[in-house]
Amino acid sequence: MILRRIAAILFVPVMLAFGSGVYLYLGTLKSKVVQERPQLPTVTKPKFVLPGTMFVVQEGRLFKLEAGSFTEIGPGGEWSQPTLTPDHTKLVAVLRTGFSSDLYLMDLGGHVLKRLTKNDSRYIDYNHWAFYPRISPDGASVMYSFDSPKVNGVDLAVWSMPLNGAQWQARRWTDPYSHTGGDVSPIPLASGGLLFVRHSIDSSTVVHSQIYFQSRALGVATPLTPEADDCSQATLSPDGTQVAMVCTHGKQSASLEIASFNGSALGAPQVLVDGGLYASPAWSPDGKALAYFGPQGLAGHFQLWWLPLPVAATPSPSIAAAPSTSASARAASTVAPTPAPVQVTEGVDLSATSPPAWF
Amino acid sequence: MTGQGPARRRRASRLHPVRIAVLTLFCLLLSGTAGAAAYFFPVVVAGVGQTGQTVVVPPSRSQGTASTPMPSAAPGAPFTVLLLGSDDDGKNKSPLTQSMILVRVDPASKHVTMLSIPRDLWVPLSTGGSAKIDAAYDYGGAAAAIATVERNFHVHIDEYAWVGLKGLIKLIDRLGGVDVLVSNPVLDDEYPNDINGGFLYGYMRIAALPGFQHLDGTHALQYVRSRHNDINGDFGRSARQQQVLLAIKAKASTLNAADLPDIVETLKGNFTTSMGLDRVRSLLGVATAFDLANVKQIVLFVPTYTSYDRGAAYGGQSVVVPHWSQILAVTRANFP
Repeated sequence: MILRRIAAILFVPVMLAFGSGVYLYLGTLKSKVVQERPQLPTVTKPKFVLPGTMFVVQEGRLFKLEAGSFTEIGPGGEWSQPTLTPDHTKLVAVLRTGFSSDLYLMDLGGHVLKRLTKNDSRYIDYNHWAFYPRISPDGASVMYSFDSPKVNGVDLAVWSMPLNGAQWQARRWTDPYSHTGGDVSPIPLASGGLLFVRHSIDSSTVVHSQIYFQSRALGVATPLTPEADDCSQATLSPDGTQVAMVCTHGKQSASLEIASFNGSALGAPQVLVDGGLYASPAWSPDGKALAYFGPQGLAGHFQLWWLPLPVAATPSPSIAAAPSTSASARAASTVAPTPAPVQVTEGVDLSATSPPAWF
Repeated sequence: MTGQGPARRRRASRLHPVRIAVLTLFCLLLSGTAGAAAYFFPVVVAGVGQTGQTVVVPPSRSQGTASTPMPSAAPGAPFTVLLLGSDDDGKNKSPLTQSMILVRVDPASKHVTMLSIPRDLWVPLSTGGSAKIDAAYDYGGAAAAIATVERNFHVHIDEYAWVGLKGLIKLIDRLGGVDVLVSNPVLDDEYPNDINGGFLYGYMRIAALPGFQHLDGTHALQYVRSRHNDINGDFGRSARQQQVLLAIKAKASTLNAADLPDIVETLKGNFTTSMGLDRVRSLLGVATAFDLANVKQIVLFVPTYTSYDRGAAYGGQSVVVPHWSQILAVTRANFP
C-alpha cells in the first residue's frame, strides 16, 4: 500500500513533465515564417565569396562585404542607398532623420566627412527628401532625387549639385509627372547626359515606370523602354555599354534584364531570370556578373544573389535603336541561356531599395 | 475458507500489470491533454471572445421586417466576407472604417474575388440618412456596415471581420513582414501621426520607395494608408490594400495550427469576426491553395464606377458619388 502511494507520488512529476513536454513540443511545430527572424550580416557567413568590396544596408545599418565576411561601418541611424565615388575612395549615403533625409559624404570606413544637404525643418511642410545619390563619372557632382518644388503634391525630381559645393548650388534636371511619386534612380553619364526612371499614369490611371534618357538639364526626356514593360532600377555596366534593369510587365513578379546601351538608346533586352521578386541589380567590377536582391524561402527576407552573365554579347542598339514605347518591343526580347543564380547570403534581411555599391 | 481470505486480499491489493499500464497511459494522456489545452488556451479564449460574433442586421425600413441574425452559407459553399479596417485611434467614439473590402471565397474552386468600397462613397445608411459609407460602422457597428453594404450593393454578406490598424501592424510583424511590389514612390506630407499616441490629429511625412521589398507592419500600414499624393486618391489606396492583403494571405498559407496561439495573442483586442472556427479553417484551406491567378481584384475607379463631387447636397464634403448601374452590374456578376 505504501509502495503504491510512493509510486503515485513519484508519478506526479512525470505527468507534469509530460504535460510540459507536450506544451513545448507544440511550440516547436510553429511554421518557420513565425519563428524565423533575420540575423545581423556580421554573424552570418556568406555562402559564396564575391570578388571586390560591396556595401549593403540592413535595417538602416551600413555593412561592408569583403573577402567573404561582413563588417558594420558608419555611425548609428537610418542609413540607406550607399554609392561610391568614381575613384572608389569615398561613399555618399542617405540618412533619414524624422521627416526628412540627407546626403552624407563618408570614407570607406563609414566616417562622415561632410553633410551635403540639409533638408530637415521644424515645420513639417518645409522638410524634404533626398534619395538615390549617384556621383557623376568625373566625380564633380552628385545627382539625386529631391522632392522640390512642392507645387502639386510631393514628387521627386532629379537634381544635381557639386560634390564639393553647397546645396544652394543644386540645379533641377527633370520635370516629373505630378502625383506619381516622380523621377528616381538617376545615373549620370560620361557624356553629360542622364538615365533615370520616370513614373507616369496612363489613361486608365495605371502607374507605369520607364527608363528615360535626357541629354541636358530640363531638356526633353526620351523613354528608352515601353510603358507596358514597367522597367526600373536601371544600372549601368562599368564600361558604360550595358544596362541591367528590373521589369515587371504589369505583374507582381519581375524579370531581370540586360540591354546594350550606346549612350542614348537601348538595344533589345535579354531576359536573364524571370518570375521572381528581383530588386536593385548591381554590376560586378569586371562587368561579367550581376548582384541583386531576392527573397529567400517563405520568410521572404531579401538575400544577396550573384548571377554570372551569358558569354554572348547583348544585341547592339543599332538593331533596335529607336526607343519603342509599344508592346511589340517585347517580341525583340530574348531569354538568354544564363547560368543559375547563386545565393550569396542566408538568414539576413538586406534592404532591397538600397542597391549594392560594388567595386 | 479462513485460509483463502488473506490470499484474496493480497491478490486484490496487487495491481495487475495491464491495469498499471492502462492507468499510466491514462495519466499521461491526461497530462498531455492538459499541456495541449494550456498551449491552445489563448485560441479558446479568442474563439469565445473574438470569433463567432453574433450580428443582428437591422431590417430595411421599406421592408419593415424584423431584425434577423446573419444567415450563414452552408459548409463548403461560396461565402462573402466584409472586411473592415479602422483607425482605432480614439478620434471617434466608434471608429470609421478606412477600408471596406468585399471578399467572396469559393472553397471548392479556391477562387477569391475582392471588391474595394471607397470610404468616401456617398450612400444611404442603414441607420438612416445619407453619409459617406465609412460612417456606417461609426453609427451602428458591424451590423450597420453590413446592412448598408447589402442594401446598396445588392449583395448578401455571410460574415464580417474587423481589424484595427494596430492589429494589422502586429499581425504583419508576427508573420515576419510581407513582400510587396511598390510600383511608384508613395510620398505623403499629410500622413496621420496617430498610432503612437500624442496629438491624434497630427500628421507626419512618409516615403515608401519603389521596387520589390520586405515591409514590416509599420511600413506596410503606411503603404496601405497613405492617400494624399496618389493621383487615384482613395482608389489608389484601395488597390494597395488589396495588394498587401494578398501578401498577408500568401504568408498565412504557411501557417499551421501551432501558430494559432501567437496569432491570436497578436490580434487580441484588435480583431473581431462573425466567423466561427470552422469557417476560419475553410479560409485557411483557400489560403493554403493560394494562387494569384485565382484572385480577381476590383476597384471602383473614377470615372467608370464613380465620380468626385462636392457641394451642399453632401454637406459641403468632398465625396465619391456611385454610378450604381455600373457598380451593380459588377456585383451581380461577381457576388451572386
